Amino acid sequence: MTNSIAEIEDAGCVFIIGSNTTACHPLIARRVIRAKEKGAKLIVADPRNIQLSRFADVAVNHRLGSDVALLNGMMHIIIKKGWHAEDYIASRTEGYDALEEMVSRFTPEKVQAITGVDPGDLEEMTRLYATNPPGSLLYAMGITQHTTGVDNVKSCCNLAMLCGYVGVRGGGVNPLRGQNNVQGACDMGGLPNVVTGYQPVADEAVREKFSKAWGAELPAATGLTITDMIPAMLEGKLKGLYVIGENPKLSDPDWNHFNHALKRLDFLVVQELFLSETAQVADVVLAGASVAEKDGTFTNTERRCMRINKAIDPIGNSLADWEIICRLSTAMGYEMRYDNPEEIFDEMAGLTKSYAGMSYARIGLDGLQWPCPDKDHPGTPYLHKDQFTRGKGMFFALDYKDPAELPDEEYPYFLTTGRMFAHFHTGTMTRISPHLDVEQKTGYVDIHPEDAAKMEVRDGDMVVLSSRRGDIEAPVRLTRSVAPGTIFLPIHFGEVPTNVLTNAEAFDPLAKIPEFKVSAVKVHKLVL
Amino acid sequence: MECKLVPSVCSYCGTGCGVLFEVINNKIVGTLPMKTHPVNEGKLCIKGWNLHEHVNSILRLKQPLVKTFGRFMKTDWDEAIQLTADRFKEIIAKHGPDSIGVLVSAKITNEENYLAQKLARAVIGTNNVDHCARL
Amino acid sequence: MKEQIKSWLEQGTVDVFLGYREVDHHPIPWCFTQEAIEEVDDLVVSPARYSLEKIATHMAAEDPDIRIGMLARDCNNRALNVLYVWNQLRPEQVVTVEANCCPSPLKEHADCSYLEPGTVGAYKKAVGIDNHLRLEAVEAYGPEEGRNRWMYEFQKCIKCYGCRNICPVCFCRECSLDHDDLVGTGPLLPDIPIFHLVRAVHMAGRCIDCGLCEDACPMDIPLRLLYQKVNRIAMDLFDYRTGTSGDQPPFSILGDRVTLEPKPIQPVTGAEA
Repeated sequence: MTNSIAEIEDAGCVFIIGSNTTACHPLIARRVIRAKEKGAKLIVADPRNIQLSRFADVAVNHRLGSDVALLNGMMHIIIKKGWHAEDYIASRTEGYDALEEMVSRFTPEKVQAITGVDPGDLEEMTRLYATNPPGSLLYAMGITQHTTGVDNVKSCCNLAMLCGYVGVRGGGVNPLRGQNNVQGACDMGGLPNVVTGYQPVADEAVREKFSKAWGAELPAATGLTITDMIPAMLEGKLKGLYVIGENPKLSDPDWNHFNHALKRLDFLVVQELFLSETAQVADVVLAGASVAEKDGTFTNTERRCMRINKAIDPIGNSLADWEIICRLSTAMGYEMRYDNPEEIFDEMAGLTKSYAGMSYARIGLDGLQWPCPDKDHPGTPYLHKDQFTRGKGMFFALDYKDPAELPDEEYPYFLTTGRMFAHFHTGTMTRISPHLDVEQKTGYVDIHPEDAAKMEVRDGDMVVLSSRRGDIEAPVRLTRSVAPGTIFLPIHFGEVPTNVLTNAEAFDPLAKIPEFKVSAVKVHKLVL
Repeated sequence: MECKLVPSVCSYCGTGCGVLFEVINNKIVGTLPMKTHPVNEGKLCIKGWNLHEHVNSILRLKQPLVKTFGRFMKTDWDEAIQLTADRFKEIIAKHGPDSIGVLVSAKITNEENYLAQKLARAVIGTNNVDHCARL
Repeated sequence: MKEQIKSWLEQGTVDVFLGYREVDHHPIPWCFTQEAIEEVDDLVVSPARYSLEKIATHMAAEDPDIRIGMLARDCNNRALNVLYVWNQLRPEQVVTVEANCCPSPLKEHADCSYLEPGTVGAYKKAVGIDNHLRLEAVEAYGPEEGRNRWMYEFQKCIKCYGCRNICPVCFCRECSLDHDDLVGTGPLLPDIPIFHLVRAVHMAGRCIDCGLCEDACPMDIPLRLLYQKVNRIAMDLFDYRTGTSGDQPPFSILGDRVTLEPKPIQPVTGAEA
């Protein structure tokens, strides 16, 4: 997030696109509701009718994967009406002319043809966003899990910058990160092209700095992303895989494809709390410790680095993950010895500018928001205050592109995927939790009553869902939360493996994020 | 009787709500919202309130496992670590460091992620490091 | 006060004392013991309220003979009274040190809620229910307007069960909110208004108007008003004033004292955590 969670309450307008906030980030939804109750305007754009749609001043269901068109359409209206922030654009941004040229083509009629959004609604949502500063834009995986994920994100930034909402309190472009430490994992260099603090491995000076600190030569070539690792496994180039606290067998697209790839590995090690779907096919399973059994830090979606404290000893003979990694490293001939996580943190902070001013003592219970470059820096509640990190904010003129797969005669329904409120990700932790399991014990498919009538299925009937990749069975849940023509599957349930249907071949060329949010499927009643 | 409330952070989504683990005699009996935390101000969602349940689950792995002839056998840490180190070294020797991939995690701590990518880059010698940010 | 607590711990009057201690500027409930008696010097009367008595019941479940000292505001004392009459704690195992509450003109009882009147937004006041209204003012809305306003509030519910989980007098092993026959599981929204009304009915003769539920509600639903209403009914019909006494058995509210022996509630297979 460019801005802080608490600041959402002070927005003049909150625009939510591609986030089912009450289910996936409930305590952020709280801020949205409080903003609304204080007088802010609320806009929800989502292919589904989510809980927050009920509270929105304007709620639209744009067609799956049509985000760029919708956002370009909003910018078209803003420029036409003269609602854009001219001074801000002139002094703080570049690339405006190309953007103006591009969005001039996105007339409300054209946008309606692509997105299905009524021109009147489009104009009203645009007016609310552009004329109620500051506008806070919130998005989640509904924006990113597309073949055009990067374009979608850039379009969100274009819109916010066009109105001068980036670098102001209460505004910003605010991705809601899905996992507790996904921000931290990125910050810590858990990516194939950067070490900590996004320092590129391709940069010789960066490699030299880390080589010196670590006493080992660093490889220069950018590594493989998860998406690239799968073909590498199939081609026999990737022989060994060390998986820590992840369940890619369930979370990666195209389950059959991935399963096949895992079988080609010579050696798979999985470090986990539970015998997850992925751990079951491993050669070695290392028993890690839960959040309550170790010290350390997490960095949340607003860049706030916070401490977790050991409450109990690791259960049984399990070990804190940092201790396992140290032991493995030492056994491989590279001595890694730390007395506690604080020593690791200090080493990392010494190599990472955005964390340089942080220490366990300073972080306390409130945490600190990066960048925090020195010991006296109070942390940064919102980014790009007087200047963008890169100097000038860059507009990207982006044309609309269709998703990789659209419904056709053979596969007539849109399929989209996501979370439900009581479960988390692949369900490894939530499905064994009695109070969460009781809410939803197994997978289901959300179908609109009109579609169900055409399919001749009723609530609770089993249906077979088929895509070009495979088939799965799921019980039907009738709901008006999906639009006719679209069905929804939650991602948490291994016995209804959503990703048998999704497409591993379709991903964003830059971010390598798979298009989980759009596939084409056919549905028919299961006949026994 | 030992009873303590230990401040921590919920691990169920990226919001980062402050929680207190209620610990009685080294067992977590409950999760409470931290009243004065800047993120959640004393409120939690259903997942946060039940955060301790996955910690206490009987399904937790309690020791390392090694697969022998298709079946998992319980083992101790020395054996599991040595076996893993040997296999990795063997693969590196035969196919080079880029034949190994490391998936770090959006669920473990910053410190652990830092060490995991350090292991990949400095020890194994590959930049094949990623995690499920995209998934 | 600190000397008193120390002497209780030293003399074994209590095994533990529940209060608060500041950790990195945050008041955290703290269990003081004789082994670390010097910590009592750091005891604070926290502006933040936690249900210390609920922690006490968890300790008593572990060791039924434990003697517990507790820092108690008026609301903590009312909760203790309810826990005594429902056999969740024994009065002889608890001693309290009285702490001042912050008096408020807004409520009959002391109000320590964080929700200050200024933070209730204009839109909520217009379409929902201002958390600071008095019950009479809410009743004056009339059936249709009242219904619309309550439904606005209930629609915000994200089904966190925080109202139940934080409640110092919610201790049932089997909760009606977990019963699929009463309240549907599964999707958000929860069944409204059934979810909230089922809980409200169960708060009659139980709720001590401490406001912790409202304080824990992520969506600022005015739960306290709802439970005040059902408690008002219990008071009007049976003259039962919840939490005012530790020896007014709940089974006597129908007049003659019922001869049923209060029994500990048995765990139900499958429903227990």
